[in-house]
Amino acid sequence: MIRLEQISKTYSRDGVPVTALRDASFSIAAGEFVVIRGVSGSGKSTLLNILGCLDSPTTGSYMFDGANVSRKSDGELSQIRSNKIGFIFQSFNLLPRTTAVENVELPMIYADQEVSRSRAVQMLARVGLAHRERHYATELSGGEQQRVAIARSLINDPALILADEPTGNLDETAGSGVMNILHELNDEGKTIVLVTHDDAVASHARRVLLIRDGHLRESEGQA
Amino acid sequence: MNIVAFFRSVMRGLARKKVRAMLMMAGVTIGIASLTILSSIGESTRRETMKRFKNMLGTFDTVIIRPGSSKNRGMVSLTNVEPSLRFEDAAAIAAQVPEIRQVAQIQNALDIDVKYRDHSGTPAIFGVTSNFLDLRGDEVAEGDFISDEDVRSLAKVAVLGADAGKQLFPGEDPLGKTIQIGDVPFVVRGVMVARGAGPAGGSLDNLIFIPVTTASKRLFNREFLTMVIAQLKDPAVGQLAIDHIQTLLRARHRIAQDALDDFNVTNPRAVMEQVTTMGSTIRKVLLVVAILATVIGGVAIMSVALIGVSERRKEIGVRRAVGASRNAILLQFLLEAVLLSLGGGIVGIVIGVGGTQIVSRLQHLPFLLESEAVLSATAISIALGLLFGVYPAWKAAMTNPIDALRD
Repeated sequence: MIRLEQISKTYSRDGVPVTALRDASFSIAAGEFVVIRGVSGSGKSTLLNILGCLDSPTTGSYMFDGANVSRKSDGELSQIRSNKIGFIFQSFNLLPRTTAVENVELPMIYADQEVSRSRAVQMLARVGLAHRERHYATELSGGEQQRVAIARSLINDPALILADEPTGNLDETAGSGVMNILHELNDEGKTIVLVTHDDAVASHARRVLLIRDGHLRESEGQA
Repeated sequence: MNIVAFFRSVMRGLARKKVRAMLMMAGVTIGIASLTILSSIGESTRRETMKRFKNMLGTFDTVIIRPGSSKNRGMVSLTNVEPSLRFEDAAAIAAQVPEIRQVAQIQNALDIDVKYRDHSGTPAIFGVTSNFLDLRGDEVAEGDFISDEDVRSLAKVAVLGADAGKQLFPGEDPLGKTIQIGDVPFVVRGVMVARGAGPAGGSLDNLIFIPVTTASKRLFNREFLTMVIAQLKDPAVGQLAIDHIQTLLRARHRIAQDALDDFNVTNPRAVMEQVTTMGSTIRKVLLVVAILATVIGGVAIMSVALIGVSERRKEIGVRRAVGASRNAILLQFLLEAVLLSLGGGIVGIVIGVGGTQIVSRLQHLPFLLESEAVLSATAISIALGLLFGVYPAWKAAMTNPIDALRD
């Protein structure tokens, strides 16, 4: 499903070119659960942004779902994000002053489809938040907010879920709840790519990619 | 993108920040309200001024010749003019100035007592020639106007202005009755249709017409005119006619080369244009102020929207991550600006219409609301939103979602 060949990313920070990613090459098959592990500043977020079609590589080619997306336009990348990719963030990133169900509906607005309130409600039930749909983000606990975010990432039925430190802001119980949902989704056939610096979280994965100073290498699976 | 859902979510977003939305709208509301009031009041003032001039003059396609070198602004009468304008001058203008179709001779006086039985008044007395009616375009409500035969025979007949008729004959038909003008009895020949208010707002109907010859020989015993109205064949040649009349009268009055005229000639159209232009200069200044207020309203929308863009970086990042393209973000912020500006504009129009009604009532002007003014106010509001919304929207669209999500 995903194939990266010789992907490099250089960007300029205060006028100084910084190479965040060097010649990364790997593949992820549909249905895999992959953890990308590295300390902060290692380039793992850059990699995740490229995988998520939020960013384009400086050099190299990125094949996603049979198409080369490394040189696509903003509109085309947005379509791919909308239909095929779901994002989960460390800080949940729910829209403020917006109810849980409206947050879940948001991706439907940008996809070419009907906005279905009932589907959004079902999706909240799916992550264990039935009857919380009218609550605002500020009225929910961290674990609940992250589950709303997961429901949001799933609403357009994407093939790929990208999670950036999804348990980083959660206590152990809430974190393991979120991890359980991710494993269930993987069991249902979703491809999951999870970025973390946390060894405990990494231990969940069948496959771990280690990243350091922009260099990527395969680590042996521990699960 | 699902446009309906998109539109709904933008509306919902605005509704959640009511105070901010109202602050953003306020400037446009004030600007559009003052624009609406100014354009409506300006237009009705202009029309009302023209109407009152027309009431006074009947037609603009004339030149008016009055005795005396100074341009006497007030109402002329036998007691306040020089005896320099003669009957023969009027005849000469009619015969010798090619731009002139016909000439009406006028000899008028004020403060003459008029009586009918126990009713009395002091309407203005106008000695006129029979063509006065046709030249002014006035109408007779009852009876007839003064005829050529009346002028030739020095007939003692009178035609009453609408107000003079009401004053002397309350609840009575004046036709055929005899009134006393000064000490001379006149038979009422007709009553005029009311002209309405003059430029100063006063009545133009408190007057009595009699034959100019009768006025001169039987009533006032004066051999000069107070006014001559010359009708132009073509309104475009007014200035040429004025030049010809000046040359003719200077020769007739034997005025030396370097001496001043002992008469003055004016073109009412030019005078009216001067008056309405003066009005429109004030209006233009006010209009610039109103436009400035509106533009400041637009700038307020822009600056608050710019603050909004930096406050909402995270929201922009999230929307981009879940599938919004740059264009979708651009459209969202632009739509917000246009909706706010349009909302402010609509409130402004409502206030403006109310304000126009109040001002019209205070100024005794007819309430005039042109759909054009409403439509252009709406268009201005939308344009303002687009104009001042596009930069914040562009900034929002150009926000890097990766940086925004990392904040």
